Amino acid sequence: MSETKTLSIKEQNKSAASSLMKKNIRKFLRNKLAVFGLVVIVIMTVACVAGMILGVDYSTPNPTIMRAAPDAAHIFGTDTIGRDLFARVLYGGCYSIFIGVFCAVLSSVVGAILGAIAGYFGRWVDAVIVRISEIFLAFPQLVLVMMLVAILNKRSMGNMLFVFVVTGWMTTFRMVRNEFMSLKGETYVKVCEAFGMSRANVMFKQILPNVMTPIIVSTTTNVAYFILQEAALSFIGLGVADSTPTWGNILNAAKSIQVVQNQWWIWVFPGLAISLFVLAINFFGDGLRDVLDAKQQ
Amino acid sequence: MLKFILKKLAMMIPMLLVISLIVFVGLRSTGIDPITFMVPPEVQSQSPEIVDQLREELGLNDPLIVQYVRWLGDILHGDLGLTNKGESVADIIATRLPYTLELSAYAMLFSAVIGIGIGIISAIRQNGIVDYIGRVLAVLGQAVPQFLVGIVLIWIFSIKLGIFPAANRVSPDATNAFVDAFMHLFLPVLTLTIGMVAVLMRYARNTMLDVLNSDYIKTARSKGIPEWKVYMKHGFRNAMKPVLVILMYRIPALIGGSVVIESVFSYPGIGTTMANAVTSMDYNLVLVITLIIAAVMLICSFMVDVFNALLDPRVRLGE
Amino acid sequence: MDNKEIILDVENLNTTFISDRKKIRIVKNVSFQLKRGTALAVVGESGCGKSVTMNSIMRFLGKNAIVEADKIQYNALRDGKVTEYRLENIEKPHGPEMRALRGPEMSMVFQDPMSSLNPVYKVGDQVAEGLLQHNKGMTKAQAREKVLEMFRKLGIPDPEERIDCYPHQFSGGMKQRVVIAIAMICNPELIICDEPTTALDVTIQAQIMELLKEMQLKDGKSIILITHNMGLVAEMADEVCVMYMGRVVEFGSLEDVFDHTSHPYTQALLRSVPVLGLADGQKLETIPGATPNPADLKGGCEFADRCPYATDACREKDIPMFQLSPGHRVRCLRYSEYPVVGSGEAEVAEVQ
Repeated sequence: MSETKTLSIKEQNKSAASSLMKKNIRKFLRNKLAVFGLVVIVIMTVACVAGMILGVDYSTPNPTIMRAAPDAAHIFGTDTIGRDLFARVLYGGCYSIFIGVFCAVLSSVVGAILGAIAGYFGRWVDAVIVRISEIFLAFPQLVLVMMLVAILNKRSMGNMLFVFVVTGWMTTFRMVRNEFMSLKGETYVKVCEAFGMSRANVMFKQILPNVMTPIIVSTTTNVAYFILQEAALSFIGLGVADSTPTWGNILNAAKSIQVVQNQWWIWVFPGLAISLFVLAINFFGDGLRDVLDAKQQ
Repeated sequence: MLKFILKKLAMMIPMLLVISLIVFVGLRSTGIDPITFMVPPEVQSQSPEIVDQLREELGLNDPLIVQYVRWLGDILHGDLGLTNKGESVADIIATRLPYTLELSAYAMLFSAVIGIGIGIISAIRQNGIVDYIGRVLAVLGQAVPQFLVGIVLIWIFSIKLGIFPAANRVSPDATNAFVDAFMHLFLPVLTLTIGMVAVLMRYARNTMLDVLNSDYIKTARSKGIPEWKVYMKHGFRNAMKPVLVILMYRIPALIGGSVVIESVFSYPGIGTTMANAVTSMDYNLVLVITLIIAAVMLICSFMVDVFNALLDPRVRLGE
Repeated sequence: MDNKEIILDVENLNTTFISDRKKIRIVKNVSFQLKRGTALAVVGESGCGKSVTMNSIMRFLGKNAIVEADKIQYNALRDGKVTEYRLENIEKPHGPEMRALRGPEMSMVFQDPMSSLNPVYKVGDQVAEGLLQHNKGMTKAQAREKVLEMFRKLGIPDPEERIDCYPHQFSGGMKQRVVIAIAMICNPELIICDEPTTALDVTIQAQIMELLKEMQLKDGKSIILITHNMGLVAEMADEVCVMYMGRVVEFGSLEDVFDHTSHPYTQALLRSVPVLGLADGQKLETIPGATPNPADLKGGCEFADRCPYATDACREKDIPMFQLSPGHRVRCLRYSEYPVVGSGEAEVAEVQ
C-alpha cells in the first residue's frame, strides 16, 4: 500500500519535473536574445574547435606577406610577422573560451565549497573566511593578478588559470554563504541533522541543490568576465606566454599606434570575436536567469 | 557620528597591516634575490664575499618577520626605498600617482553623474527612449573590452579626426596647462567612463525601480506633492544608498581598468609603472604600489561608509 | 439623495492590468455610493480586487493599469457648497488636479505601516510635508505645531520628542498612527483605509479601529474600510460591500448584509468567521475550492464553481444585480424575481 503510494508520488514528481523542464525550455525559446546568444556561443565554439582539430596553421610567420590586408587567401589578413589572422583568431578562441569556462567553473566550485562551509558552520570559521574574501575583494583584481604574476614569476597558462581562480571565487562565495545562512535555519535541515546525516551530506546533498540556480547563472556570466580579464591581462603583456595565441594576446599587437592606424584588421577581428562572444554569453546568462529564477515565476 | 568615523578609521589600520604583511612575505618568498639587480653579474661571480657582506648589511639574512618590521619602520619614516635601477621609489610615486588619481577621479565623477542620471531617468520613464538607448548601451558597454573601446576612440579621435592626442599626459610644448590636461585626459577618461556607466546605469535603474515600487512612494503621492518631489526627495534619496555601495564595489574595477587604459594611452600613471615593475621584477616598487592602492581602496570604502551613514539614519544612529 | 449626502459615487468602474502583453480584468463594473459621514466596509478574500478598486479611485495605479468608469464622482462640501469632481476625467494620475485633492479632500491609510514610511526622514517632517504642500505660506514652526497637535490627538506619547524620531525607532502600532497622522493632517473628508490593522497586533488593532471610529463619529469623516475581518466590519461599518473576483456581489446596510445575508458567497464568508465559544463538535466552515486565477475566468458567475446552489444558468452569462430591498443589492440568480438595478452595464470589450 505504502509502496505504491510512494511510487506514485515519485512518478508525480517526475512528471511535474519534466513538465516544468518543458515549460522552462519553452520560456527560454521565447526569449529571442537568449536564443541568439546560445546560437552564437555554439557556432563560435564549434568553429574554433574545428579550426584546432583541422590544424590550421596559426604559428608559421611568412615574411613575404607581413601586415597584409584581408583578401581571399587570408580572409582576416595577416599580422605583423605574416601569420594568418583567421587561423590565429580560431586558435585563440579555443584558448580564450577554455580559460573562461575553466576559471568560471573552478572558481564557482571553490566559492561554493567555501561559502557552504562558512555559511553552515558560522562562528569563527565564517568570520575567518569572510575576512579573507574581504581582503581579496578590497583589491583591484587586476592588481592582485599582477602581484600574483610577479610572485609566480613566470607567464604560463597554468599560472594564469591558478591566478584567476584564486582571485575570482569571492562573488560566488558571498552568494552561497548568504543562502546557507538563511537555509540552515529551515526545518528540513534540522530534520536531516536529527536523523544523524553527516554534515557533508547535509551541506552538499540537502542544502546546496537549493542554491544551484544562482550558481549556474553566475558561472555563465563569469565565463564572459574571465575572457575579458584574460584579454586585458594579455593586452598589457602579463597574460599567457606570447607563443600561445589567445584573443587578448592577438590584440596585444594593437598596443602599437602604427598598428591601430594602418592595420585595422589586426585589432578589429579579434576585438569583434571577443565582443560578440561576451555579448552572446551575457544574453544567454540573462535568459537563463529569467527562466531559472524562481522569484520571477 | 564622530565615534562612528573613528571606529571605521581604526579598522583600516589592521587591514593595511595584514595586506602589507601578505604582500611582503609573498614577494620575498618568490626566490628572487634583490641582490642580483644591485650588483653587476661579473662582481657576483668573481667576489661572492662582497655579495655576502651586502646581504648582511641589508639584513637579508634576518628572519622574514624581522625584515618586514624593519621595512615597515622605514615606510613609516617616509623612506620608500629604491627601485632596482636605483631610483627613489618616493619620487616615482610622487610624479605618477597624481596622474592616476586624476584619471580615476574624473572617470568616477563623470560615470557617477552620467550613470546614475541616466539610470534614474530610465526608471522614471520606464520603457521610454532614454531607457531603451541606455539598455542597449549598457549591454554593449559590458561586452566590449575596455581597452578595445580605448583603441576605437584613438582610431576615431586621434587618427581619423586628429582632435585629441593618443598618448602621454603632458605635451612638451604646451602653452596652457589646463587645455593640455583636458586634451590628454579626455580620451582615457571617456574610455573609463563608458565602461563604468554601463554598469552603474543598469544598477541605478533597477534600484530606483525597486524604490519607486515601495509603499512609501505611494504614501508620498497620497500627500499630493508634485511628482518631481516624489522622485527626488523620496525616491532618489533612498535609491542612493545601494547605488553608492555598488559604486564602492566598482572602485577596484576602475583602478584595475585604469591600469589597462593607461597602457592603451601610454599614460604615465601608476598602472603602467606597476605593469613595468612586474615585468622587470622590481619588487620594492610593486610592494609600495600595491600598498598605496590598498590604502586608496580602504579610504574609498571608508568614504562610502560615511556617506551611507549620512544618508541612512538607521546606520547613523547605530541601530 | 443629493450631492450633499453622497460624498463618493462610483459607477461601472473597470480596471484592467496589462501583464505579459495579456489584458487581465481585475475590477469589473463596480458601482457603489458612499454617504457622507458614514463608514463603508469593503470585504472579500485576498485578491478579490478590494485594494485595486480603491487605488483606481485614488489613481495610484501604475502605467500597466487601465482605469475606465462611467463615473467616479467626488463631492466636496465646503461652507455648505458642493463642488463636484469627476475623477475619471482627470487625465494625469499625478497631475495638479489629482494632487490638489489628495490630502485636503481624500487620503489613504495603507496596509503595512512598516513600509509605508520613508525610512530616511523624521516622522514629523513626513507628516508636515503634506501640510506645507497644501497651505502655501505656512511656516515650518506653524506646521510643527499642527503636527504636534495631531500626534496628541492620535495618542502618540511624548509628541515633542517623538516628532524628531525616525520611523525605525517606532513600534508598528505607533508607525500606523503616524501613517494615519499623514492621512489626517490636511483634514480630508474621505479616508480610505486599506486593511489598516492587518499587519498589527490584535490589541493594537482595537486601538487603531477606535481611533478611526472616533474620527468618523466626532469629526464627521467618511471612511472606506477595506478588510477581510468580519468582526471589524460588524463593529465599524454602516454599509457593507462584498466583493468577489473583482465584482460587487452584495451591497447593503450592515443589517441587510449580516442579518439578511443573501449571496451564497457572503453566507459562506460569514460562516467561516471564528466565534468565541464555538460549541463542541461545531465545525468552523471553510469555503470549498480556491479563488480562481483572474486570467482563467470564463463567462458567468465567478463563484459558480464553489457555490452549493450553482445551476447551469449561473455559468451562461454575466449575472445582473437584483435589488432585494431599497439599498440592498445582490448579484445572484437565486433572486431573479427581484428587479434588476444598475443602468445597463457598460460591457467592456471582452478580453482574453
